[in-house]
Amino acid sequence: MAKGFTLWFTGLSASGKSTLAERVRDLLLERGMKVEVLDGDVVRQNLSKGLGFSKEDRDTNIRRIGFVCNLLTRNDVVAIGAAISPYRAIRDENRKLIGRFVEVYCKCDIDTLKNRDPKGLYEKALRGEIENFTGVSDPYEAPEKAEVVVDTANEDIDTSVERIIGTLEQMGYIPAGDGRGYSEDEEESIKERLRDLGYI
Amino acid sequence: MRLLRRQRKRRVCVVGLDGVPFQLLKRLADTAVMPRLSEIIQDGGLRQMRASLPPVSSVSWSCFMTGANPAEHGIFGFTDVAPDSYRLRFPTFADLAAPTFWDKLGESRRRCAVINQPATYPARPIPGALVSGFVALQLGKSVWPKDHLPALQAMGYRIDVDLQQARDNPDLLLADLEATLETRRRAARYFWEREEWDYFQVVVTGTDRLQHFLWNAVDREDDPRHARVMAYYRAIDEFIGEFWDRFRRGQSADREGEGFLLLSDHGFAAVNKEIRLNAWLRENGYLDYQADDPTSVADITPATRAFALDPGRLHLNVKGRFASGCVALSEAPALRAELAARLKEITFEGRPVITHIFEREQIYQGPRTNLAPDLVLLSEPGFDLKGTTKGDEVFVDTHFQGMHTWDDAFVWTHLPIPDSPEISDLAKVILGWMLG
Repeated sequence: MAKGFTLWFTGLSASGKSTLAERVRDLLLERGMKVEVLDGDVVRQNLSKGLGFSKEDRDTNIRRIGFVCNLLTRNDVVAIGAAISPYRAIRDENRKLIGRFVEVYCKCDIDTLKNRDPKGLYEKALRGEIENFTGVSDPYEAPEKAEVVVDTANEDIDTSVERIIGTLEQMGYIPAGDGRGYSEDEEESIKERLRDLGYI
Repeated sequence: MRLLRRQRKRRVCVVGLDGVPFQLLKRLADTAVMPRLSEIIQDGGLRQMRASLPPVSSVSWSCFMTGANPAEHGIFGFTDVAPDSYRLRFPTFADLAAPTFWDKLGESRRRCAVINQPATYPARPIPGALVSGFVALQLGKSVWPKDHLPALQAMGYRIDVDLQQARDNPDLLLADLEATLETRRRAARYFWEREEWDYFQVVVTGTDRLQHFLWNAVDREDDPRHARVMAYYRAIDEFIGEFWDRFRRGQSADREGEGFLLLSDHGFAAVNKEIRLNAWLRENGYLDYQADDPTSVADITPATRAFALDPGRLHLNVKGRFASGCVALSEAPALRAELAARLKEITFEGRPVITHIFEREQIYQGPRTNLAPDLVLLSEPGFDLKGTTKGDEVFVDTHFQGMHTWDDAFVWTHLPIPDSPEISDLAKVILGWMLG
């Protein structure tokens, strides 16, 4: 079976995409997988250098990241894309191109984002100093069918990571078990309880 | 102003009775076993409700708490099979892929107190407080926030009854059920007082346990344990009555009890035989094992074309979907149709026993449809579908007295619900009432 897949993080600025991408990358590396992260901020400094924030440039940027993710995926590498990727149609285009594609929507309300604002961008955007700022002066189209929705305003990072890893296991993209969910002893206890009620 | 705003705030209280069927509830109310229930439901509003497919608590309660389809929330049963190894895996609360309506209430600054909710283990943060129910193992991992743990330990809180003892000693089971209900009541009172909740929920799971092991005593007046079992339902009646009274003594918006809901997550019926689907698949040449004494579907051969998981979930061993899949994607529809036709013909003493065969697309809509079973079967009451890999016999006697059913769960509420409700409808109803 193919081993590569693309894990695509989408969400507003400061919603936790890069943090989660790094945490998931580390866990997958620990499991002996080949992993590459394509972070939107980093990509804009090289692969997409010179692109701006018009809709056309944003679409080009996301298509470029999708193109590289596809190359990595078909060579059995786990490609992690972490970019605002505001437009549903372009994300779906990448989904179609890559096939083995898992979308993670980092959901977070605007008040929480404004409070986080590590780069002071929301403050500037709200003052009108930044044009085309997603979520303030530019649209963000939330996914309708993301494989995982992580509520980064309300849940802690460990929970979000556990949920993403759980999804990858459930979808068969990574092996089940390996230290998450239940320990072996817990799994035995659960089997016993399910057996006691005739469920297995 | 602040007081007025608080008085107008709509609250909801839900009492869940795991596995209590509509007909039984009605009978217990009509025959004065449950007089408080009778009083509460007398104005109407009691409906028969469809549970999830398959009708098991982990799926049904996940549909309740998310309002989502299993292909959206990702919980298809108590077990899943890992596509790379066919090993059984046991979904945790972290596997729930859709947000709960408690999360949505939290976004509107509403707080929830949820006690003994199945399929929420290990507990994770919710806006308020959560005590996980079945399959919760340790209390320490079942409580959020952890500050509540010492109080629960001090009151001797029990997550569940001793299931191993239940099979061998029905009298001990009854004593255990009563004691567990009492600790549930104490915990519910504690959270009622301690949490500033807008949404309160407590689930009684003892009803499901009782009905699995002692359905005959529930259903038949001539059973020697009938009186004691009815006393258990009377205790549940007092439990419901207590929270109904508490709710109506609450803020002004609660006084008519509009936001009060009673519900079950599936129905129940008497069981006579188990139908072991993997034995049937093997007998008919669709499945074989590499081991003499297989312990799970991890022991199937690569030539296996279909296998079953509990309770009536059939998966085709499709290439690309499973590591050793042997069924080409193009052949899958014909194989599925062939299986559906042959399964319909299974009979016991001349009577057909499979009542419904649902194809994947009829049940599942969402991003995880490709993980869903290809067929979901329902059986005639009395014949309990099983996904065990044990034994060669298709029809086997069982020590259980009760089995789950699909279309006779119940819901009672004065809130506007669809005429023919499904359990996944209720999240929207509750959110609609609370948030307007």
